[in-house]
Parts: sequence; structure tokens; C-alpha cells
Amino acid sequence: MRTLEGIGSTPLSGIGTVRWHRPDADLTLPDSPDPSGPSDLSGSSPIDPDAERERFDRARDTAREAIRQARDRAAERVGEEEAAVFEAHEGFLDDPGLVEDIETSIADGAPAERAVDDRFAEAIAQFEAMDGRMAERADDLRDVRDRVLRALLGTEAADLGDLPDGTVLLAERLTPSDTAELDPDAVAGIATITGGRTAHAAIIARSLSIPAVVGVGESLREVDEGAEVLIDGDGGRVIVDPDAAERAAVGGASAPVVGERVSTADGRTVEVAANVGSEAELAPAADRGADGIGLFRTEFLFYDRESPPTEDEQYEAFAAALEAFPDDRIVVRTLDIGGDKPVPYLDLPTESNPFLGSRGIRLSLDEHADLFETQIRALLRAAAREDGNDLAVMFPLVSRIEEVEAALAVVESVASDLEAADIPHAIPELGAMIETPAAVFLADRLAARLDFLSIGTNDLTQYVMAADRENDAVADYHDPLHPAVLRAIDRTTTAAEGTDAWVGMCGEMAGDPALTALLVGLGIDELSMSAVTVPAVKERVAAIDTEAATDLAAEALACETRAEVRELLDA
Amino acid sequence: MERTVTVVPEAGLHARPASKLVQTVNRFDADVSIGRADDGDDGLVRADSMLSVSGLNVAHGESVRVVAEGDEAEAALDAVCDLLSTEVEKNEADGGETE
Repeated sequence: MRTLEGIGSTPLSGIGTVRWHRPDADLTLPDSPDPSGPSDLSGSSPIDPDAERERFDRARDTAREAIRQARDRAAERVGEEEAAVFEAHEGFLDDPGLVEDIETSIADGAPAERAVDDRFAEAIAQFEAMDGRMAERADDLRDVRDRVLRALLGTEAADLGDLPDGTVLLAERLTPSDTAELDPDAVAGIATITGGRTAHAAIIARSLSIPAVVGVGESLREVDEGAEVLIDGDGGRVIVDPDAAERAAVGGASAPVVGERVSTADGRTVEVAANVGSEAELAPAADRGADGIGLFRTEFLFYDRESPPTEDEQYEAFAAALEAFPDDRIVVRTLDIGGDKPVPYLDLPTESNPFLGSRGIRLSLDEHADLFETQIRALLRAAAREDGNDLAVMFPLVSRIEEVEAALAVVESVASDLEAADIPHAIPELGAMIETPAAVFLADRLAARLDFLSIGTNDLTQYVMAADRENDAVADYHDPLHPAVLRAIDRTTTAAEGTDAWVGMCGEMAGDPALTALLVGLGIDELSMSAVTVPAVKERVAAIDTEAATDLAAEALACETRAEVRELLDA
Repeated sequence: MERTVTVVPEAGLHARPASKLVQTVNRFDADVSIGRADDGDDGLVRADSMLSVSGLNVAHGESVRVVAEGDEAEAALDAVCDLLSTEVEKNEADGGETE
């Protein structure tokens, strides 16, 4: 068994047989004479620029047709949003500057293939020299270039839509076109040498629910065609020749669904809840046995519309969640937006550093106090429902006690307004998200003032490690197993000991079954995750001995490096 | 003739808004160029080029200057400014979770 580390992109796991996708191999430009073929690059016979120009035009028509088909296919199978990338591809294909450059090269005597390859290479290099998401447009350009070259060379693209069941596809990189073609029923997983989790191809893979690990690096090349490989999209691992234990851990789907609460082997109850970002996710979460909702994101209520949702609309959404889980807690996170997730009608300023800017509770108490008040009204009314006892509300991105005081003051004043208007209301459980180092340091005070704390490990990791979660260059820092992050979690749970506040966790970390024992050992009372991993985590909880888990956590906290932590967890 | 307009689409001049801009410009008999409002004439690039437009890397909320010449310059300006100041149906982000 051998484990390669990458970036988990689709948080699902799968096992299958390796098939390497090497599109570039088909597109190697011939450099030896080939008098019979249509693409004579030898220089031994004269090149006719007019004929080359015509070949280029025909290849472009072929590529355009293929891009339109890919667009329609993606729109049907993945969604209109993901299909939009192919409109951009058509724009690149017909870019007048690029087309003119290629035509000039052809007029100067270059064969069409060479002209296309060289001019695209220049454009790709320009985009690659730019930052972050711009560099990912280089993948789009490669995709377009490969279509034109294939049309010129008369080679067929490998048929990725017809792979045998249980294929694990490995590649240097996958283009959006490649990915949109994959059949989720046949492909057990994908792993790539390059790429980040925000690339279009990665987004499409997630939409198709194909387990994916990206950015594995050169070591992936050593994995042989035909090898058996496990793709762990949760942990960002590619495991070659997985052992029985790893196989057993694969996929939430393999663990039985357990509807009831689960306890550790020695009787400590650990709630295993689900994160949801829309009403449509409530029923699937209940089907997978989630003990309620540990993170109900409210942003979806605000997206894709012209104006903010009304109090009644929000009330209905919270009521739907309470109805879906009549006996379980629903933890609603108040509006968590910022410069990186703009909502057009809110006119948020463009910030040079949105993750360190005006977002989360900061916006709710300042520019958007009106929205916050409306949301709190809807929540207090929902809490007065017959099934509203289990409603809880948490504030995102808390970093100061004043913010908690101000938020509680809003809750109080909304309650008196409702009282005055004779509208039924109740005060739900109130909590703070622990996402900033400031909140970690203040956790004892927060726990004293609030009913619960919920650790958001994705942002906590970003802020503790000072590593932008969207920046692939620092993706390696973005791992909650770095000892500094583990100590921040420990400090939070320790601070809440001796108070009545419970401590939950709602980041990706909470849904990794390989970490369940560690988290229980660290003193987490509630784990909330993508619903798909609920059964696997419940299964793990039931096998835990609290004392052993506590020892494991103590050992992890004594580690100096992530490598030591990993070694400990693998042991 | 020219106009300055604030870019409303969430994706900025990328992805769908960029392709829509290029498609729009191509419908008119006009030479249209576009650049950041602060960058002056040197910052202008041709608006019918997907490469040039996305290469600008303009984000939502930035001001851009649109310059048009030709028979349908005014109509082209109207259409382009209308597009840039209207939100497209959906942004192209992947949901951007931030817990």
C-alpha cells in the first residue's frame, strides 16, 4: 500500500482500476515526413498557405461544432452554470486576435498545426503568468487548442464517455470538456497531477459526484496503468493497493444508515448532524440518518434574486427545516456573506482582501443591520413553533465580545418588538462560530455568555495558518491536521469545559471518518458534515472508546508537525 | 464616443459575462474597445476578443471605460453598457462555502 497526498476536491471516495488519460500523446505533432497524410509538416514538400488556411478554417468549424455539443451535453447533465464555460471556449476559438495571429503564421509558411500550437502556447503562457483563477483559464485554452489540433490531425479524442465500470481516471490535468463527458456511474474516481479545487473541471466533477483528488504532483506518474487505487476525496489521498482497513473505510454509502443517536462504546453520545445549503438538501440529510442540522447556511435565501428575502420567506425556510427534523436540533447560521461572495443588490464594496474584510457578523451589525434584524425576527418566530424548541442560531466570524453583546442586544430588542406586537416568539439557543484565532483566545468568555460554540474548521484553518483557502499555491497549509489548528480546537473545547456550553464542529474536518476518534478525544460534542458522510462517521463513533480517544488526542497535541500527526493517525 | 460604467455581474468580466460581451460587440458594425477607467488609453483592449477581455481580469464593482467607433457606435455602446450594468442570471461560482 502506498499513499500519495493531494487536494481533496470532491469529498467522496471510490476504488477502481487505473486508466491513464494522455490526450497530449495523441496530439504530438509529427516531425518526420509523412507524404501520404494530410498534415505534411516535413518541409520536404512545399507548404501551400492557402490550403493550410482552408484546413485551419475547417478545423475551427469542427471544433466549434464539438464545443456546442459539449455545451448542450453539460447543460443537460451537469447544469446551465457549468455549461457556461463552453460559451467562453467558443469565444476563445473565435478570438479575432488569436485567429489573426494564426493566419499570419500560416501566411508566413507555417503548417496549420504548428501555427495553432505556437500561437495558443503564447496565449496559455500569458494566462499562466497571472494569478489564481486567471491561471485556470489556461486550462480552458488548452481544451480549445486540443480540439483544433485533433480536428487538424484527424485524431479522435479518447472516448471518456464510455469507460468501463470501476475506472479510476488519472491524468496530468483534465479539461472541463473531458470531465463533463465522464459517466458518474462508471468512473469510480479521478486524480490529477496539477489543478486546484476551484478549477472548472473540479467544479464539474463535484456536480457529478465523482470522487476527485487534484494537485497530487509528479508522484502520481508512478502509478501504473491497471493498478488498483482508492481515491479518498475527503482526505485528499490517492492510495495505491489499499489494504482491507482502507477499503472498509471507503465511502459513506457503504456504512449502514443509522437513524438513532449513536454513542461511543463506553456510552458518550455524540451528535452526528448534517450541513445544508438549501431546502432541497433537508430530506436527503434525514434519509442518511443525520441527527439534525449542525449548519443551516442562510445564504441561499439571498442568492439568485433581485432583493432580500422577506421575513415570512425566511420563516418558511426555517419551519421547513424544523419539520424535516422534528426531534433534532437545527442550527441556523445568520447571513454569512462578504466580498468574496457578493450579492448584487447589497452593493458590497470590492475589497482587496475580502477574507479579512467586512463579512459575516461584521456586516450584520453594521451596513446590513436591517437584514440581520429581519432574519432574527424570522428566527424568533420560528422558535415559537410547536417544533421550534430545537432551533439554535449562531453568528459567523465572531472575533470580539462586543459583537456578541451587540448581536444579543438585537435579539432582545426584536423580542420586545414582537412582544409589543403580540406576535408569538421565543429565544432560541444562541452560539458563536469559532473561526478566527481571536474567537479561540476568547472561547472561555464566549462559552460563558452563549449556549454553544461551533468550530468552523475551514475558515479556522485559513485564519490560523494565514493561508487563503482559494489560493492553490498555499493549499498545503490548508489542512486542519497542522498541529497549530489542532491546538486551536483543543483550546476551544477546554475553554468550554465547566460551562454549560456545548461545542460542535461544522467544517469539512468533521465529516472525515478517519478523524472521528481524534475529534471525540478533543472533546467535540456534535459533528456536522456533508450528509453523505453521516453513516460512516456514525459507524466510527460507535466503535470509539473515549479513554483511548482522549489519549490519541493528547498524543496528537504533542506532535510538532503534520507528518507526525498523520503517522499517529495511520498507526 | 465613450462611456464609463460599473461592472455589475458577480463574475466580473470572466466566464459568461465576458462571452456575452464579446457576442454583443460582434453584433454591431463598430470597433469597440474596453479598459479599466483608471488606466487611460493604454489600458484599452479590443472588446471583440475573449482573450483580451478576460485578460483584463476586471472584477465585479470595478469601473470600466468603453470606447466605440463606427456606424453603429452608439447602439453598440448602449448594448455593451446595458450588459455590464445588469446581473446575469446566475453567477458561475461553486457556491463558495465559508464555514
